[in-house]
Amino acid sequence: MNKKDIFVTAAFTENSVWRQVLGICSTLAVTNLMKNSLVMGLGVIFVLAFSNFTISMIRRFTPKNVRMMAQTLVIASFVIIVDIFLKAYMPAMSKALGPYVGLIITNCIIMGRAEAFAAKNTPFDSFIDGIGAGTGYTLVLLLISFVREITGFGTIFGSKIMGSWWTNWSIMVMAPSAFFMLAILIWIINGPIAAHKAKAGRR
Amino acid sequence: MKERKSFTDSRFYPVLFMILITVIFIGILATFYHTTSHRVTAYRLYRLHATVLKLFDIPEGDDPFELTQEEVEKLFASRVVVDSLDVSTDEDPTYVHYEKYYKLVDGSETLGYAFPLVGSGLWGTIEAMISVTPDLATIRHFEIITQNETPGLGGRITEDWFKNQFINKRIIENNSVVRFQMIPEEDTPGSTQINQITGATASSGAIVKMLHDQFLKKTKAMGRDYE
Repeated sequence: MNKKDIFVTAAFTENSVWRQVLGICSTLAVTNLMKNSLVMGLGVIFVLAFSNFTISMIRRFTPKNVRMMAQTLVIASFVIIVDIFLKAYMPAMSKALGPYVGLIITNCIIMGRAEAFAAKNTPFDSFIDGIGAGTGYTLVLLLISFVREITGFGTIFGSKIMGSWWTNWSIMVMAPSAFFMLAILIWIINGPIAAHKAKAGRR
Repeated sequence: MKERKSFTDSRFYPVLFMILITVIFIGILATFYHTTSHRVTAYRLYRLHATVLKLFDIPEGDDPFELTQEEVEKLFASRVVVDSLDVSTDEDPTYVHYEKYYKLVDGSETLGYAFPLVGSGLWGTIEAMISVTPDLATIRHFEIITQNETPGLGGRITEDWFKNQFINKRIIENNSVVRFQMIPEEDTPGSTQINQITGATASSGAIVKMLHDQFLKKTKAMGRDYE
């Protein structure tokens, strides 16, 4: 597979969130503000790319029975690096994200890509796959947070969009709205859009 | 003849492998942590000092958070004195505990005090700070340092309208520490009342309780006998 195919497959065709329904906890947690979603997405892209790369590098030496322990160790190390980096060089952002950075460790997408891709492919291909899967995840986060932020706060990336006539929908700020926004998104992509594509494919 | 097993098939290999990569990764993390820890500490100190300056209205009419780290530290060193209060209680004489507080000074004259406050919110600990006039009776400013309340509901305790309603309110009345009464968000508050946040009675209540309990503790430690 060439590099572009690897990227497109990881980001769209086999998108971790809407195709494999992975990484749901963080999708639900951080999507009430677009800024939080973007930084969370960038953090996940970084961790995915580098943990995939490292896991692929050591795949020939890794004993099968302890491979998950080794993968978790690698992933956790990269997450802590992101956390320390944000605290030291982007403290305002670190403060805004609070505990979410640490939660990247629990993101199943990262373990999923390590097992499904990095453990069987070359380091560079795995790196591309990590960036692709991370981009697909970030896209979903931004889509959901766009709707939640504009209806819940009347803003986009923190700047006021809706006029004073707008009444904020408090429910969109809280967790339940993330559940139905995610469900609607998965339905649109796997329902109408997939059906449309299948029809176009037959023609 | 017995087939010779390679080392990677032995039962010790996975153990050695795990020990090795653990040492490598912990080594990388420890190095990274050590090379950046001074920056993290310096930033936390700067945030704290800028908050103290804000509580004392320094620089006048300006936001200390817009100053650079050096400017904040210089102002802080020239105008603020850090001291500590013995808050140990009589119930347990073996327990010795000191808490920091801040004095705004001009030469030998004390122009105000600032105290860190800690209380429990709905989801976690709320850390705040209050500054008062030299006679301890009137609130100058109130700031939230850290909180984990629900965003959009209890999280609104960090909004200016909520914090600023404490400004110039008396906290000592008739020799006792005032426990503010909460009234609905749209009503006009009296001198011992504050507007609570709609939908966040618990978080608003936590602030009121924290102000009363913690301020009472600080004034006791300063030798005042308020109730």
